[in-house]
Amino acid sequence: MIDTEKIEKRVIRNFYDDGLSEISLGLFLLFLSACFLAQNAVPKGSVWKSILGIAVPLLIVASALLVNRILRSLKRRIAYPRTGYVEFKKKNVSKKRKTAVMASAAVISASLTALMSIAPSSRTVMPALNGLLLAVAFLFFAVKVGAVRFFIQSAASALIGLAVTVSGVDMEQGVCLFFGLIGAMLAVAGTTALISYLRRSPRPESGADDGE
Amino acid sequence: MANDLAALSGLDRVIHEPARLALVAVLSMVESADFLYLQHETGLTKGNLSSHLAKLEEAGYIEIEKTYRGRVPLTLVRLTSKGAEAYKSYKKEFKKFLERN
Repeated sequence: MIDTEKIEKRVIRNFYDDGLSEISLGLFLLFLSACFLAQNAVPKGSVWKSILGIAVPLLIVASALLVNRILRSLKRRIAYPRTGYVEFKKKNVSKKRKTAVMASAAVISASLTALMSIAPSSRTVMPALNGLLLAVAFLFFAVKVGAVRFFIQSAASALIGLAVTVSGVDMEQGVCLFFGLIGAMLAVAGTTALISYLRRSPRPESGADDGE
Repeated sequence: MANDLAALSGLDRVIHEPARLALVAVLSMVESADFLYLQHETGLTKGNLSSHLAKLEEAGYIEIEKTYRGRVPLTLVRLTSKGAEAYKSYKKEFKKFLERN
């Protein structure tokens, strides 16, 4: 008997089989880490500090948009010739759901800011809290996609956040280190998945799609 | 027993065939997909895939668009609204049948 739910879930999982999404996200987080590192390296009150203060948010937004384009280009060059072209439906997220997500993000940001101003010592636990939030996000994604490696990445995110906090570095350095390590983890996991995908899925010989 | 058979005979025969059911299930998750993708997802041979796609197209459940990407022929397949509705109602009917048995 055909299990249609299993097939539907597999379709989503297979999209991430090539590891290209993780590589793209990993590189983005490494770039984010480098931006924060550059900001921290410049002495306070200098002109460069002000320039970077304006340039970094713009660079982050631009690179987030660029990552999507890079991912599409990589998919076109690597995945589509091997396992075929697919275009997913554009999700119509309900207004209620959008509001709920935005409200949750606002509440979390406000709570973290309030916590840091009430108890400045809590700044050192920020990487652990970031790790926990990222772990929850990865967990939701892992359940949706059903791929084991995303469960591992969820646990690793929480552990990396905890390890950075325990290491005792200050918040600015801790955030750089946290995003750098998460980015590296995703890039390595994605590359491993990509190597395995390339071994499993050679290019078809003819190059034609044979749809007659 | 007679009721069970009646319930089974009420199922959409076009979709009920396992290979076509797998194809429709895959297509229900995507906007469009090419021949190679469907072959990869369902594990069907080229001949089998073509034959099942032809039956689904004949029933009006899918649309097949023949195009080119550069010089390479590209066969894009998408589920029609009739196909999506048929798949939804098949799943509902089959679930009911399973619950009764």
